[in-house]
Amino acid sequence: MSRWAAYGGAVSIAPAELSRTDIAEDLSVDRPWITLVWNDPVNLMSYVTYVFQTYFGYSREKAERLMLDVHQKGRAVVSNGPREKMEIDTEALQGYGLWATFQKDD
Amino acid sequence: MASGFKRKGHRFVAQLDGAEREVVVELLLQTHAFLAPVHRQTTGDPFDDLVATLGLPALADSEADAAQVPRDPAMERLLPAGHHDDPAMAAEFRRLTQHGLRERKTANLAAAIAAVMAADGDKVRLDQEQAQAMVVALTDVRLLLGERLGLRTDDDADALQDRLESADEDDAAEDDPQLYLAAYYDFMTWLQESLTQALMS
Repeated sequence: MSRWAAYGGAVSIAPAELSRTDIAEDLSVDRPWITLVWNDPVNLMSYVTYVFQTYFGYSREKAERLMLDVHQKGRAVVSNGPREKMEIDTEALQGYGLWATFQKDD
Repeated sequence: MASGFKRKGHRFVAQLDGAEREVVVELLLQTHAFLAPVHRQTTGDPFDDLVATLGLPALADSEADAAQVPRDPAMERLLPAGHHDDPAMAAEFRRLTQHGLRERKTANLAAAIAAVMAADGDKVRLDQEQAQAMVVALTDVRLLLGERLGLRTDDDADALQDRLESADEDDAAEDDPQLYLAAYYDFMTWLQESLTQALMS
């Protein structure tokens, strides 16, 4: 998944708007496990964005970008970190009704 | 004429007539019954006990079976495998999370049912906490209905929308039970979209 692919779609942000945290996350080498959200025909685009904002505290822009990745590419990595944390994220997102899974990043 | 949820100060207010509220409550109840952990004994609460007898899925829920993949595809959608291609890891995750997820989902659904039943005339008023429970409960209702309607891909969802639109001009469609489900699904989608927009505004 690449954030840049979202450019040209409905959501476009200037690089200057990327937060320091976003960049730190992307450059981190210690990201052995990931949480994925998979596309499904039922969940609303608005609701998926709402969940990413509410649960992760992501900005509207970041939440919409991830939502569009799920919608257009079939899945998106929504968080990364230690396995225990990814299991917690997966359980929480399933609680919201999203199709979430965790796995080792490869 | 129904009107979806709108933010009014700290509240979220929708206008639904008696028949519309009945549909919403019935679908929430069915989903609650579907998800309620089935080993539950009588709770002492007649309402909970009644709900527990409605439309139970054919699913074993004992500790020994909790790690198995649920057989009903709707349950598989509401409580999906936590790992995409490692069955052992998925089974372990299910064993650890399934019971809690079912309890939290049924608690959400119960809160949503109570909120609709407490309507003041045709006005359904939710505080922030009730709105958050409702928007999740509507998701679970739509996941269950969507599975029963065979929605597996975005194309399926588009085809369902086309079918609903053309059904208005097709008298034979009135005898199609799937079309009733589809109309309920459409109504729940509209309601959830309004609440989501209100929560994000």
